[in-house]
This record gives sequence, C-alpha cells and structure tokens, in this order.
Amino acid sequence: MVIIGENIHVIAKAVSVAIRERDAKVIQALAKAQTEAGANYIDLNVGPMKKDPEDTMQWLVNAVQEVTDLPLSIDTMNPVAMEAGLKHCKKRPLLNSASGKTDSKENMLPLAKKYNCDVVISVMTDKGMPPDVDSKIESIMDTVTHANELGIPNEDIWVDPIILPVSTAGEGQRFAVTNLEFIKILEDVLPGVKSTVGLSNVSNGVPEELRPPLNRTYLAMLGRNGLYSAIADPLDKELMSLTKGEMPKIAELIHKTMDGEDIDLSILSQKEVEYVKTARVLMGQTLYSDAWLES
Amino acid sequence: MDYKAPVEAYTGVVREVTIGKGNKSLKIGGENILPLHFFDQGSNPNPVKFALEILDMKPEDWPEHAVEPFKDVISDPVSWAKKCRGFAVDAVSLFLMSTDPAVKNAPADKAAALAREVAEAIDVPLIVYGSGDEKKDVEVLSKVAEVCDGMNLLIGPVLKENYEAVGKAILDHGHTAIAQSPLDINLLKELNVKLSKIFPPDRIVIDPLSSALGYGMEYSFSLIERVKQIGVITKDSMTMMPIIANLGGECWKTKQAKENKKQGLLWEGMTALSLLLAGANILVLRHPETLKLIKETIEAR
Repeated sequence: MVIIGENIHVIAKAVSVAIRERDAKVIQALAKAQTEAGANYIDLNVGPMKKDPEDTMQWLVNAVQEVTDLPLSIDTMNPVAMEAGLKHCKKRPLLNSASGKTDSKENMLPLAKKYNCDVVISVMTDKGMPPDVDSKIESIMDTVTHANELGIPNEDIWVDPIILPVSTAGEGQRFAVTNLEFIKILEDVLPGVKSTVGLSNVSNGVPEELRPPLNRTYLAMLGRNGLYSAIADPLDKELMSLTKGEMPKIAELIHKTMDGEDIDLSILSQKEVEYVKTARVLMGQTLYSDAWLES
Repeated sequence: MDYKAPVEAYTGVVREVTIGKGNKSLKIGGENILPLHFFDQGSNPNPVKFALEILDMKPEDWPEHAVEPFKDVISDPVSWAKKCRGFAVDAVSLFLMSTDPAVKNAPADKAAALAREVAEAIDVPLIVYGSGDEKKDVEVLSKVAEVCDGMNLLIGPVLKENYEAVGKAILDHGHTAIAQSPLDINLLKELNVKLSKIFPPDRIVIDPLSSALGYGMEYSFSLIERVKQIGVITKDSMTMMPIIANLGGECWKTKQAKENKKQGLLWEGMTALSLLLAGANILVLRHPETLKLIKETIEAR
C-alpha cells in the first residue's frame, strides 16, 4: 500500500500559520516525521490558496524537498498553485486532484499531461457526487476516457471514489459499503488504473479518540479489495503495521468479517473484538452509533 | 404455473414492554414482523395502542376547537384525565408543561403529587412527559418516579444529557423509560446502548421525535421504519424496542390545525396513520375525535 502522508494540511492551524509566516521549521518537521514513519509520498494540502499562489507554492515545495527525498502530492483546487507546485518538484509528483467537472477537465487535467505526472481523478462530475457503484463507474469511465484523449495513460491515473463519513445519519454506512465494492471492481472496468482514497474522511465527525479504529479497519478492508494507495496518517503506528502485514491475525479477522463469517467474540482479545465490531459497522452489518465499540 | 407469494420469516423480535401495574397494565411491542405485514410468518401480539394527552395547566395556545371536548375540565388535570376514559383510550399521557423554566417553572414536588393523583384516578396506565428541559427534568422526573414508586409509569424524555440520573430514578422506583433522541438513528442507537448499561432494555420505549405532516413527518416516518427494519430484519438488539409516537402536540402547533377543526382532525389523523404504518406501537393524540377517526379507519380495513 502506497501511503501519502496527510499531515501537512492547511486545516491544521499550525500548518496554515507556518505557511502564512513562511516558517519552514514547522513544515519540515512534519515532512521529516512522516518520511521516517514510512510514508511514500508527502501530501501538501494547501486548500484554495487564494493569496500569492505561485510564490507560496514554490516556497513550500522547496522547503519540503530540503528535508525529504520523497515525491510530493500537490493537493489544491487552484490550478495556478497546482502548476507552480508541479513545476518545482524534483521527483515525479502526484497531481491531487482532478475530477470529471468541466472546470477541472479544462484546467487541471491538461497540467498532468504538461508536467508528465501521475494524477488523482475523483468520481465527481458537474452533477455532483454519483450516489451508487454503477453511477460512480459510469462517471469515472467518462473522465478517464477524456484523460486518455489528452494523452494521459491509465497507468498514470489514480482513481478516487471519495470517502464520506460513516457517521452521516442514515447514509454513511451505505457510502462505506459502496466504496468497498467500487474498489473491488475498478481493476476489471479500467485495467491499469491505480486507486487512492482520502482515508480519514471516513471518521470525520466521530469523537477524536474513536477515529483511529475506523481509519485503520477501513484501510485494511479497502486494501483487501485491491486499493493501491491512501492519503492517511503515517504517524499512526498501528495503521502502518496493519498496512505492512505485521498484524496477520487482525487482518484475518477483518477478512472473515467481510465474508460474513460467524465470529466467536468471547475467545478474542479486546483489541481483536474492537476490530471485528468496527469491520461490522463498515460492512453495514450493524447499525453505526458513536457507542459502536460498547455494544 | 401456480404463483406462490413469497413469505418472509425474520429472527428479530421487538421487546414486549409492559406499562402500568395489575389490571391497569398494558403491553406494547412484541412483534416479529414488519408493521402490518401480516402476510409474513410471525405476528404482532399487541396491536397499536392509543393515548390522549392532557396538560398539568390550562393550555394557553390551543385553538377553541381543540379545547372544546374538554372545556369543562380543562383547568383540572385529574378530571380531564378521567374524562379521557370516556373516549376508550388505552393510556393517558400527562405533559408536565408547567415545570418548564420558560413556562411557569413549577416545582418538582407539585408536579409529582399531581402525577400520582392522576395515576390513581384513572383505570389505565399513565405516561408522564417532563418539559424536555434537560436539567429541570432531572429534578422533576426523579421526583415523579419517587412519589409514584412501584406504579410502573412510562416516564420520559430520558435524554443523552441526563440518562444516568433520570434512568436511575426510573429504575429504582420500578417504572419504564422513554428514551428520546433528535430524529437520528445513530444517536438513537447510541442512547439505547448507553442507557442499557444501567437500565434493563426490556423496559425502554423509543421516542424518535414525531414531526407533523408538512413539518418533517417524512423524517419521522423513515426513521421509525428503519428502526423496525434494523430490529426485526437484522436483529440489532439496540433497536428492538417498541416506539412511542408523541404527535398530538406537534400537529396542533401547526397553522393548518389551528385554522379550523376539520383540518386539524385530518392533520392529526394523517400524521397518526402515517406513523402507525411506519411502525409506531403507541400513539399520543390530542383530540378525541381524531382517535375515533383512526379507530374507524383501522376497523374498516
């Protein structure tokens, strides 16, 4: 699993202040920590970057490249900031992200061709978020075809099905299941494409201390279905060891839960029970509540 | 080729909950089929029940046509409760509105004494709703539970914010609890999970909040429907509780119900019938003629 380190994110106060004040130390510390923790890419999520996009992006990319040799994922909706970022990358970067929206097709996708980089393409279109597996497949096939016509081969495309919070009343669990299915069949409908997800969004809105179990379990489940990469927190040690196959018993329990097998919880450790309960929630087998580990 | 209608058999059973004591008791829930799916394998041993709502003070904002059936007793909750009996109710629901700090902030002692007096005066079980103020209700509902010790009233709303204190009082004095959450199935389950750690789940009734027709009823409908499906079909222990639809007050707040009587009866009646179809086990109505209308509709099949 390719892990794109998510921690340089403008929503984090320290990061946004550091970018505004050109304080490289904060950013470099995060880049170094993620590199040491085993990330494969460093994501630079700068948001829309309305002010001074070119200079800021160049500064940020250079600051990070001073302390890490990892390739970068340039994460912004602003095409000017995007181009400035891609231009200064030493390693082949990841354009994060384009979509099937007209605006993105016209302004983002051509940059992937121009800078010969990998590109994340989400299932979003002008009509919004496709609600089920079939419509997600339909939208992404359209957008990938368009990208191919621009000269971007499948092998450079990382498809993002868009993860939504599992705690969203009523619909959240259905979304989680839909994306598991989507990842499972993606390789058959678009041979050669890669895949990625913004993992942490699955636990958005959940009490802070309860987010890691959801993130870890869902990544293991998506991984089993063939997910290629995830934007995630490499500083979460348990997440990383699960991803690297260092927790085979837990992985096996998650797989059994996905297959709907009966599992005797009474003979498992508390941690194992928690993984099974979390996988059941993410499979839509039991109704989500913030007390899902307690019932 | 002969057609054979498919018959479903589910494994989940909604808990059967008893309210009241002895010959004043009533059972709700207990079904292992979806609402009105009598063609499937299973049964509903306790068809839907009806309560009428009374207030602990003279209502100030009711239209005349809602006051009319009770106009001679509207200032006396005990006589009002007794009069409900003439309309063949299965239970009476006392709303302790005057205890609300924003209304009269009436003391808990007084409310509890009234609850006891009403409970003793009627020969059907009593439901008691506090004002919904999460702090004041701790005082009021705990006192009601204590003063009515052993009478097995159905008491609520028990909320996420006060379930520990209110739940304990209800349990210690032998009553049944109404667990209320704000129109959200995940929050509803969370409250049941937490309450069940200190309270027997077979003495919990779910109040998912019932909105009136035109004012969000479809949310209440989908939620009740979903609670039943998840309980009966997927056997989720924390949604297998009967449901109370406390809808009278919501319906009579609407402009349409206040405008004229016929419209009001139909507004309350359509809301009640819809939530009944969704799976509510007991409905709290305000107008006795709505009750009559619904009973006739059910009996006419």
